[in-house]
Amino acid sequence: MPKRRDILAIVLIVLPWTLLITVWHQSAIAPLLAIRKDEGAEGRREAGGQDSKEYCASDKDIVEVVRTEYVYTRPPPWSDVLPTIHIITPTYSRPVQKAELTRIANTFLHVPNLHWILIEDSQRRTPLVTSLLRETGLNYTHLNVETPKNFKIRGDTRDPRIPRGTMQRNLALRWLRETFKNNSQPGIVYFADDDNSYSLELFEEMRSTRKVSVWPVAFVGGLRYESPKVNAAGKVYGWKAVFDPHRPFAIDMAGFAINLKLILSKPQAYFKLRGVKGGYQESSLLRELVTLNDLEPKAANCTKILVWHTRTEKPVLVNEGKKGFTDPNMEI
Amino acid sequence: MFIIFYYTYIEIGKHLYFSALGTNHRCFQGDSLWGQHCDCAEHDLPKDRAISRLQEELYRLQEKKQPPKSSLSTIFVITPTYARLVQKAELTRLSQTFLHVPQLHWILVEDSPRKTPLVSNFLMKSGLTYTHLNVPTAKERKLQEGDPSWLKPRGVEQRNEGLRWLREDRKTEPGDNGQQGVVYFADDDNTYSLQLFEEMRSTQRVSVWPVGLVGGMKFESPVVEGGKVVRFHTGWRPSRPFPMDMAGFAVSLRLVLANPDACFDGEAPMGFLESSLLKGLVTADELEPKADNCTKVLVWHTRTEKPKMKREEALQVQGLGSDPAVEV
Repeated sequence: MPKRRDILAIVLIVLPWTLLITVWHQSAIAPLLAIRKDEGAEGRREAGGQDSKEYCASDKDIVEVVRTEYVYTRPPPWSDVLPTIHIITPTYSRPVQKAELTRIANTFLHVPNLHWILIEDSQRRTPLVTSLLRETGLNYTHLNVETPKNFKIRGDTRDPRIPRGTMQRNLALRWLRETFKNNSQPGIVYFADDDNSYSLELFEEMRSTRKVSVWPVAFVGGLRYESPKVNAAGKVYGWKAVFDPHRPFAIDMAGFAINLKLILSKPQAYFKLRGVKGGYQESSLLRELVTLNDLEPKAANCTKILVWHTRTEKPVLVNEGKKGFTDPNMEI
Repeated sequence: MFIIFYYTYIEIGKHLYFSALGTNHRCFQGDSLWGQHCDCAEHDLPKDRAISRLQEELYRLQEKKQPPKSSLSTIFVITPTYARLVQKAELTRLSQTFLHVPQLHWILVEDSPRKTPLVSNFLMKSGLTYTHLNVPTAKERKLQEGDPSWLKPRGVEQRNEGLRWLREDRKTEPGDNGQQGVVYFADDDNTYSLQLFEEMRSTQRVSVWPVGLVGGMKFESPVVEGGKVVRFHTGWRPSRPFPMDMAGFAVSLRLVLANPDACFDGEAPMGFLESSLLKGLVTADELEPKADNCTKVLVWHTRTEKPKMKREEALQVQGLGSDPAVEV
């Protein structure tokens, strides 16, 4: 006959475990209650029309309820199965900086499993960027490294021999290598400048990168678009570009993505800092990582444009005058 | 004894958990969606309880004539657009901002005699609630190649067309609910923060806020004292009735509908386009300041560079231009 004490002990041990098991059971049906984003969007196409409702009339299938109220979760919930996309964006202070970062953040807020590595070209991390990043709600890492100024040139000009953004991108690569040294989590690395335009489809295309994937980029090289040349076997054999098409990788920074494993396995591969001819920056990194043959063409075998190399005009601040007309405390 | 305890606690735990969730475990009889009634006694698992609950909800939604109305008022965004190289890029990133805003209805008006496939397809895939319109600008009012951007007012006919459609459309929406909403004129190359849309939602007549990077300055802004707009901070022609940019104000739908003749005047002198609409709708002291009494910049008048096409043009002369079937 077990003692009373023993029964009490058993009860106190068993109770939390049973509750734990029921919680686990409950989480298994959470996907049933999840709202499908594209279902909601489908039904809202008509102007002023009613939302369409779809359902499958089978008692075995799961019912999908189309909500009439769009559920806004930003960013999307983290998934355990999708590889993380690490976006490396160098940025620097100028009047349009906050605007650029705001709209690019609005884009990134749609992409699941996105990790934004924003590197400022500055001596210290600025309050503008710090609070902007915090308010977006994105998963981010905030770094900074200042490109050395060339004191011989009058005014605040960065060393023109170092292409802009290079030191910042390299810092991000080093950060990734240090952070994921002993981590085998799948990831994709993409260099996204803060003034380009990206379609959401692009991020899903790059997620399946095994080594290095490539695709066309609009408005680069003085053309409507530059693109890798893909043969019938689905292999890249050249570059559709007018500006030096014989570069090892005649592609823009926005035109490729690299699997994180490849970055980690080649710890010496960085963008070359000095002595790089215009247009050869991308090649300086890629030639240490892959050969042409290893490239994976995306975007329907490089026939669709999913990223545009837009550039924002420098705003005319003529009415600010010498002393500045507007309140300098107002953050723009 | 241990086994008895185990099962007892499983059942108690489950019961406590599900009653905490408020899950109803009811079954449909006869007239259900599946055409058969669910025999609840057979499977008593959480999954099935959830399915029953969802079935119930769907049943209830189907019964109603109207879907449950959102408590948020709709923001009608009127955007004029025209075909140029960066159009698709601009519209893409603009739509990515709009997708985050609940109850937004995008009225996109093309400056074109016909709706273009690029814009039609883009809108279909965008996932937004939209209306696609088009009206061409008269030739003599159109900016020619090489004209500076300020020479002629742009988007006038398109914005007016948007207003016209909205007024027509609201006639078919009876009741007070159809009159609730806010109208905002958003150009396709500006940058908008998400907070801006929440600020404008509560507009009663006309609300205003600062705009960054416009008027040759870091920002232009109404100046607020005692909760009212007393003057405008601008570096250019501050004597205008409303020296503001198109992106710096929103009008309540009610006001738009109550003044069916209020529209933009294409003949207005440079910089007076906004005033040409607003002077028929409000006085300066009726303006509602937003963005923390106009101390925050939530919208920027960014402009996108025209991409350099020298090499493309050279190739096209040789008949070797890029594949026009690839849409940029």
